[in-house]
Amino acid sequence: MSDVAPQPEAAVAAERLTKRYGSLTAIEDLTFSVAPGEVVGFLGPNGAGKSTTMRILSGTMAGTSGCASIWGVSVALNPAEAKRHMAYMPENNPLPEDLRVEEYLRLRARLKDVEAGKVDTRVNQVMEDCDLVRRASGRLIGQLSKGFRQRVGIADALLAQPKVVILDEPTIGLDPHQILGIRDLIRSLRGQMAVLISSHILHEVEQVCDKVVIINRGRLVAQGRTDDLRRELLPHAGFTVVTKASQAELAALCTATEPAATVEDGVATDLGWTRYRVVLPAQSPARETLATTLLSAGLPLREIAEERYGLEDIFLAATRRTPAEGRRS
Amino acid sequence: MRHFRTLLAHELRTALLSGNTWASAALFLALMGGIHFFALLECSRAPQPWTPVEATFRLFWLPLLCVLPLLTMRSFAEERRSGTLSALLTTPASTAAIVWAKFLAAWLTWAVFWSAFLIFPWIVNARLGTGGDQRLSDPATLFGGLCFVLVSGLLHVALGILCSCLTRSSALAALLTFICLLGLTAVGGAMDSLPIESWSWLGWLREPAAHLRTFGHLQDFAGGILDSRPLVLYVTGMMLSLGLAVLAVEGQE
Repeated sequence: MSDVAPQPEAAVAAERLTKRYGSLTAIEDLTFSVAPGEVVGFLGPNGAGKSTTMRILSGTMAGTSGCASIWGVSVALNPAEAKRHMAYMPENNPLPEDLRVEEYLRLRARLKDVEAGKVDTRVNQVMEDCDLVRRASGRLIGQLSKGFRQRVGIADALLAQPKVVILDEPTIGLDPHQILGIRDLIRSLRGQMAVLISSHILHEVEQVCDKVVIINRGRLVAQGRTDDLRRELLPHAGFTVVTKASQAELAALCTATEPAATVEDGVATDLGWTRYRVVLPAQSPARETLATTLLSAGLPLREIAEERYGLEDIFLAATRRTPAEGRRS
Repeated sequence: MRHFRTLLAHELRTALLSGNTWASAALFLALMGGIHFFALLECSRAPQPWTPVEATFRLFWLPLLCVLPLLTMRSFAEERRSGTLSALLTTPASTAAIVWAKFLAAWLTWAVFWSAFLIFPWIVNARLGTGGDQRLSDPATLFGGLCFVLVSGLLHVALGILCSCLTRSSALAALLTFICLLGLTAVGGAMDSLPIESWSWLGWLREPAAHLRTFGHLQDFAGGILDSRPLVLYVTGMMLSLGLAVLAVEGQE
């Protein structure tokens, strides 16, 4: 018989999680999950309740109601066991200033139940992974730059090879080179461990994460894969058209192809050319044929391009919707 | 238990490398050296009811109030201020293991301080002692007095740890500890000096008062009397304080 525990459906599960501070509700009825090996972005405006949720999931704060579990273990009922499956790097990554990096990681390895004989191996491995070996391993943490401190925090999170890693703003205050390094590191974790990552750098989340969970004012407003959310939250497609035709001419051609099409007021550019924005329903077949239609009609056309909606647009659309809409979806 | 050992080793190492510990040790030894010097001076001037060592131990409350708060103030307050306590609580180590490790490290440091004090009677004995005359540094009195400060130190250090759990400011933690220890010592002293037995309306207080006589405990220990009641009092007080400290840490985090 194998003694390996079966893999649960969700590595992280929050069910109707609520946290109240007196009359103030920080999070309410929050339900989401992260599958094993999945990298999930946890997004929300400042004060939305991201850090509170992460602290409840990590067992450092008790929720008012609801259930949080890590690798199938309830964080409230069995915190020590849940913590064995999980590593949490809090926002601003507090570290003891008077320890050397290697000493600190050894201490953390022992506290995280890394086998005594494997402590050295694991510490060397994570220092290698986080590029700490040559420039930081023997230095006092208090003397490290912000970037290296973040690396130490991430190295600490990966030490015990947890099933779940929760990172609260891991790239805050880093320069673009350091962000790239940490992004690659997180990318390399995909498939090995479930990662829940909060960040305000949406471009970075879009590049790294399989899925996003968006909360606003403590409530869930959207969750899913970026493409699915794009279809759900942005039900239209925008085209930039630069032409010499009038708005009426352009609108006539567009509505002939797609009756629901609209043409927004244009902005004159140069030499009689005007930049218009044409909006079509996202599912309209006219998205494929608009350029051909305009060209075949003989319209003087200099440019036509479909707008690409990024996570930023999804985030803005999601945080504008009400929590009830989010739940229904 | 493995976490406790790891945390204790870490706390002891931190205490050893901390400037705060060395400054406290210097203050403690200066204070105790001064007290012992003046106790010797007094004994040399006129006959005293106490030996110099006994007289020094009777002023144990002075280093207790001045030095112990400095030793315990940073244990939790500083970690809470810097956020490293939150990081520590994300590991599988239990809150009780963290509290007990910090307590034991502080108590062992306190024990080392008091053991270092023994150097003064030893020097006096080496310089002034005449063969066989143990009045300058009676080993039994020294051992008894040391036992008293170590046993009562269980409660005193635990109170310091509890006070440190209640605030993020080390200075405020030191002040709280000072107030608690001052109250405890003052109550103990009052129980010794007030004629409670002669006040019939305070008859109900006689029995509890007998347990709280701090200076009486010191006298008993120094006299070689090992009474289990003060032992129970200090150990119970320690357990209660540490239990409250665990609840305070869990409640705040």
